[in-house]
Amino acid sequence: MSPTLTAILICTFAPLAAFFVTYTVMRNRPKASAFFSLAGGFASLAAALALLKAGPIAEPLRYAWLTSGETNLFFGFLLDGPNLLMGTIVAFIALMIQIYSLGDMAKEEQGRFFPLLSFFAWSMLSFVYSSNLLQTFIFWELVGLASFLLIGFWYRKPSAEAAAKKAFIMTRIGDVGLFIGLILLMQTTGHLDIVHLNSPETIAAIPGGRLTLITLLLFSGIVGKSAQFPLHTWLPDAMEGPTPVSALLHSATMVAAGVFLFARFHPLFLASPTTIDVVLSIATFTAVFSSTMAMVALDMKRVLAYSSISQLSFMLIGLAAGNLFAGVFHLATHAFFKALLFLSAGSFIHHHGTNDMVAIGRNGGRSMRWTTLGLIVGGAALAGLPPLSGFWSKEAIIGALTVGGVPVFIALTYAAAFLTAYYTFRMICLVLFPNPNGQLQPDEPAPASSGDHHHHGDSPWTMLLPIVLLTIASAAAGYFGFFVDQTLDANRELAHHASWGDMAPAIGIALFGAILAWVEYGRKGASQTGFVSRLPMLQQLFKNGWYVDEFYQRTFAKVVEGISVVSAKIEDKGIDASTDEVGKATIAFGYSSASTQSGYLQFYVATAIVLIAVLCYVAGMGS
Amino acid sequence: MESMVSLGIIAVMAIGGALISVSNKNILHAIFGLGLSLVGIAGLFLYLGSPFVAVMEILIYVGGITITMIFAVMLTSMTLSREKRSISRWLFAAVPALIFFAVMAYFIYGQFGVAGSNEVIPVSTSAWSIERIGELLLTRFNLVFETLSVVLLLAIVGAIVIARKERQQ
Amino acid sequence: MSIHLHFFLLLSLLIFTIGIYGVLIRRNLIGILIGVELMLNAASLNFLAFNRYVVTDPAVGQIIVLFIIGLAAAEAAILLSIILRVYRSHRNIDADSLTEMRGR
Repeated sequence: MSPTLTAILICTFAPLAAFFVTYTVMRNRPKASAFFSLAGGFASLAAALALLKAGPIAEPLRYAWLTSGETNLFFGFLLDGPNLLMGTIVAFIALMIQIYSLGDMAKEEQGRFFPLLSFFAWSMLSFVYSSNLLQTFIFWELVGLASFLLIGFWYRKPSAEAAAKKAFIMTRIGDVGLFIGLILLMQTTGHLDIVHLNSPETIAAIPGGRLTLITLLLFSGIVGKSAQFPLHTWLPDAMEGPTPVSALLHSATMVAAGVFLFARFHPLFLASPTTIDVVLSIATFTAVFSSTMAMVALDMKRVLAYSSISQLSFMLIGLAAGNLFAGVFHLATHAFFKALLFLSAGSFIHHHGTNDMVAIGRNGGRSMRWTTLGLIVGGAALAGLPPLSGFWSKEAIIGALTVGGVPVFIALTYAAAFLTAYYTFRMICLVLFPNPNGQLQPDEPAPASSGDHHHHGDSPWTMLLPIVLLTIASAAAGYFGFFVDQTLDANRELAHHASWGDMAPAIGIALFGAILAWVEYGRKGASQTGFVSRLPMLQQLFKNGWYVDEFYQRTFAKVVEGISVVSAKIEDKGIDASTDEVGKATIAFGYSSASTQSGYLQFYVATAIVLIAVLCYVAGMGS
Repeated sequence: MESMVSLGIIAVMAIGGALISVSNKNILHAIFGLGLSLVGIAGLFLYLGSPFVAVMEILIYVGGITITMIFAVMLTSMTLSREKRSISRWLFAAVPALIFFAVMAYFIYGQFGVAGSNEVIPVSTSAWSIERIGELLLTRFNLVFETLSVVLLLAIVGAIVIARKERQQ
Repeated sequence: MSIHLHFFLLLSLLIFTIGIYGVLIRRNLIGILIGVELMLNAASLNFLAFNRYVVTDPAVGQIIVLFIIGLAAAEAAILLSIILRVYRSHRNIDADSLTEMRGR
């Protein structure tokens, strides 16, 4: 077995092995469970780094899988630039989350939690390194399953249960589109191999209308998985899951799978201008849309969830503008700083026992040193302030869009960037500079006694270590841009880095947002009410998520419910009843047949004699 | 000629005894009729050239089985039961019998009506002798012989097991 | 005039049929046994007749007949002990009253 194959197998299957071992044997032994899971995570990361070091390989490792007539589907591992990058990021962040979970999850829950994390790691890594679209789809679904299991981890809470179901069903709706697109692709081109599908010859061979249809269908899957409008409402609700889950799945990796799919098929998407327009419309709208909801929310995790939606839109904008580097780079940096933000938030939440940032602030949030540092660095990166990583990637995106872009999209993107900086610093100010006399009241105050936590300490080292590592990563990743670019496409020249003058608008917008937030929330004696509160109707609209959920409940949910009721009736009266009737008929037939058994001995003898005579007659006539 | 007359008498004895045994209401009389019939059949065996088998028939059947049946009748004291013979019962019995008779008779006449095999094969005493039977029983038909002894053993044991009184607990 | 084969065949068929009739008409279990014995004897008569007229090997038929006689003895023994058993539990040996195996 070649070293490459060994490495990739270790990378993807180490978590699977950890999952099997921990799930079957060690569910009641949290320490052993954690140990094996972490071991799997380390192995995965080591293998991914080794592969990254070895550099991209253009041709995938293929193994025969499904053959039918002339069609051949191969499963295999593709190890080119984007895959290697994504795989390393996923493995690294998964490991950070696992270390964090040691501190954050209660001991008795760990035995059940770590296997699920390993399961997710396996599905996500296998998804990343797939070489065949069908294989990708299978793991896409498995990742969705892992998300369902993890969101509903505290399954006894009805809200968690409902959130898990919602997440699964909504992403499923998108997945139907994805699957239809997959089938059409198979039908049109005859194979589903990713490398083949991206080659110019294959793309040129697909007729234009068909290509648009296929890419739109593929995009519908992305809309579901990456929580873009209109399939976005599941992501805020998914915060019902434990914080490590939110950090891993719903910021850095799983939701990024949708964007990653877009990146994988970048040439295909770019070939259809209609689809690009649709993508840009939805993405720019969603970016602003979710930012509005973030700027009035008080639950820290919710703010970060809306923020993830918005940042995913940014990634899509960058990709749709034609710049593969911009989108993928932002995916990478976002993974780091969003995970950092979630972990910091989780650290605050774990310490103070409430999600509400106002309550945390008033409860002495600032006293947690390392966590606060993480929050600030992550927030600044998110807002796009230089010299942090988020700035470089966001600048790349805006730069890609402004080159010959449609003005509406550019305006919306700038608006979203402004709002991002605004709500991020709002959150930071509310936590770090609380104003007990301010007009803002917490939605969910901190519990009176926070157990045995001392108010002036910080979280345990298992939670702080990942925060520190991710802080470093968020700050420094910006300077690895050239590495990312090289890895993505070794043949291309280095991306043109704009001069400071070109970057000025982006910096200015971010600074403006940050300063406005400081003015409204952070100054001494600030009222801590945002400018939106001047328009209460608008604030209500944002607070309730533009009433999208209610709309869905009134329309689609009702329709589906109606269909379910009818189906249940049909099943009960129709199908069940008819099977019962078959059973009853058989019994009746049996009873009537039994009446031939009269019980008289001689009756049987007579029957036998007559039958023998008949038999002999028949036999005799034959010969 | 005499042989034909004696054959006729023996045949009548066989059939007559059979008729008595099925129709007589008294069960003991029926058994006696059976005995008569069996004697007739033994005579027929003799006519067919096998004295050994004829004697065996009388010894075993008439002397053993018939007497055992009488014993059973005595033990169950049903000697003088009155059986009602309704017309429907009679039909129920006669119809299958007649159907059977008709079918088989048709085949007998159809198959063996005309051609060959109605000449008596000459009897060679040595071939039909008892020594020959004994020899064959121990060589070619060994399995038959042994099986029969096992069957008889099983019958004895089985009869005892079935008929013995339940042990009082 | 010589006796043909089908004289004996017909004779044995007649006795056999009488045996069937006896089995079907009798209510007494021992009466049924009588009919069975008649049928067995008719069958052995049939075998011997064929042996005499058709088969060249003379001892086969006789051995078959001996076998039949032995089997009949064994069977009669078993039957009679069963009849005793039935008598003990039912107090009579009327075939028409032994209807526990009825279907309905």
